[in-house]
Amino acid sequence: MFVKGYSLERRERRIGLLFALPTVIGFLVFILLPIVAVFLLSISKLDLMSNEFSWQGFKYYSKMIQDSDFWSATRNTALYLVIYVPLTLALGLSMATVLNKKLYMRGVTRTFFIIPYITTYVATLVVWNVFLHPTDGPLNSLLMSLGIAHPPQYMVDRDWALPILAIIGSWKDVGYHCILFLAALQGVSNDYYEASSIDGAGRWQRFRSITLPLISPTTFMLLLITIIGGLQAFNQMALLTKGGPAFSTTTLTYHIYRSAFEFYDFSYASAVGMFLFLLTLVIIVINWQMQKKWVFYQ
Amino acid sequence: MSQSSFRGVSTSILYLLIGLIFITPLLWMLSTSFKFESQVFERPFSFVHWGHINWDNYKTILLDTPFLTWFKNSIIVTCLSVLLRLALSVTAGYAFGFLKFKYSGAIFFLMLMTLFIPYQLTLLPQFIAYRFVGILDTRWALIIPNMVDILSIFMVRQFYMSFPRELISAAYMEGSGVIQSFIKVALPLAKTILVTIGLLSFFMIWDQYYQPLIFLKSADLYTIPIGLQSFQTQFGKAYAQQMALACLAIVPVLIIFLALQKQFVESVVSSGIKG
Repeated sequence: MFVKGYSLERRERRIGLLFALPTVIGFLVFILLPIVAVFLLSISKLDLMSNEFSWQGFKYYSKMIQDSDFWSATRNTALYLVIYVPLTLALGLSMATVLNKKLYMRGVTRTFFIIPYITTYVATLVVWNVFLHPTDGPLNSLLMSLGIAHPPQYMVDRDWALPILAIIGSWKDVGYHCILFLAALQGVSNDYYEASSIDGAGRWQRFRSITLPLISPTTFMLLLITIIGGLQAFNQMALLTKGGPAFSTTTLTYHIYRSAFEFYDFSYASAVGMFLFLLTLVIIVINWQMQKKWVFYQ
Repeated sequence: MSQSSFRGVSTSILYLLIGLIFITPLLWMLSTSFKFESQVFERPFSFVHWGHINWDNYKTILLDTPFLTWFKNSIIVTCLSVLLRLALSVTAGYAFGFLKFKYSGAIFFLMLMTLFIPYQLTLLPQFIAYRFVGILDTRWALIIPNMVDILSIFMVRQFYMSFPRELISAAYMEGSGVIQSFIKVALPLAKTILVTIGLLSFFMIWDQYYQPLIFLKSADLYTIPIGLQSFQTQFGKAYAQQMALACLAIVPVLIIFLALQKQFVESVVSSGIKG
């Protein structure tokens, strides 16, 4: 029996390797190798037409640093995050709080809250494009009929465009946050609330000193997901504004896309890609360090 | 009606209305898809023109545009991607979570570390590689990058880590080999987690826009998102038709969602808690 168990363990390990092999190969080829390749691309030049290849050193990085479009793309990405991340988290938590109450037709309300998250993104963007039409669109018709003579011009106005895209991004994604916050809220035991109501704590106080700390692991996880999602936002820029007006919505991801697939400058796009990668890494590490201050694991 | 239940009803209605306001653009889409182009920006606004409902937008989209081709392409790409992803996730998850092998822990940790890498980054060299191999502008360029999904493998691995060893041992006792006991015992019991992953992956892959945007040139391979975009670029002023098209793009996922809503919500929760 002992001998059989030993050989079985070895067989398990062999089959284990066999089972994992396709995935490990896929991981190497489609994830790990591309990361190395992006770095190599960023320090070399590959002509896609003639397949000519030459090493270039850090030329494309210095080009990047001197490129004003790159800096404005970084600013735009930062601005997008500053609006998108808090808005999505706050909205998601508010919706979940509403759904955590005893409501009639709660299922219907929940469905309404989640629908944008499950609908096809491009389809909703096609709708937003017409809905926010600056002169004739239904939203501005409404605003004008309410007596606002000069309603915002949304995607045509360089000051409005990026915030609007961030709000649309929030609108699309918040259903996910709502579902996860709701699950976290439902996991908070009623005992805590009962104890605090004896202490005479008000509703806001209870929310701040009981609910928020107890759901903080969920909040932290959603914060990371939202930051990563925000850094990768692309669809709104590609479909609604093409990075304009006047580059005001050209974020890092759109800058990478344009450099690679409109100007076919893969080396430069890879350099910016490496920057985005490092930026993501730094933001995650900082948040990981800060979690000790506000995330409570029970 | 007692005072408290009256308050309950009125707050319920209030939140229901807020929910409706939240999806106003989609309601407007539905309304506009049944209008004539001249009525798109009409004032005063009317939600439905009873007696003048215009079905032509849908007829035009279904008969005069390649919508059905896009739909077919989306179905092929999404279903194949989901199936391949499930097959790879369940075997890899069983290997990393239950069978284990030399360095399996370290390899898995390395895989997890790459979860936050922007997909726009890894797609750049993939574009060059696909061009080199000659699968650029084919469906495979859309399907292949979807096959290995770390989060899916993670979920299966979590499931098998807490899988009762006795069940597999019993199968061994009865003479099954490692592969056979996986197929007969471990795989059927993973049904719930696989449905979860399948459902989430379906919605995610159906929605993909960046991949077809950079990998596809031939219009006859377009999936729905990229087809929608091409229609919008080509017929920028045909707003009512655009709304009918958007509606048709949303309807299939909406039906799946409404039918499996409870399951979907649970799926998101389980992916989030473990992810």
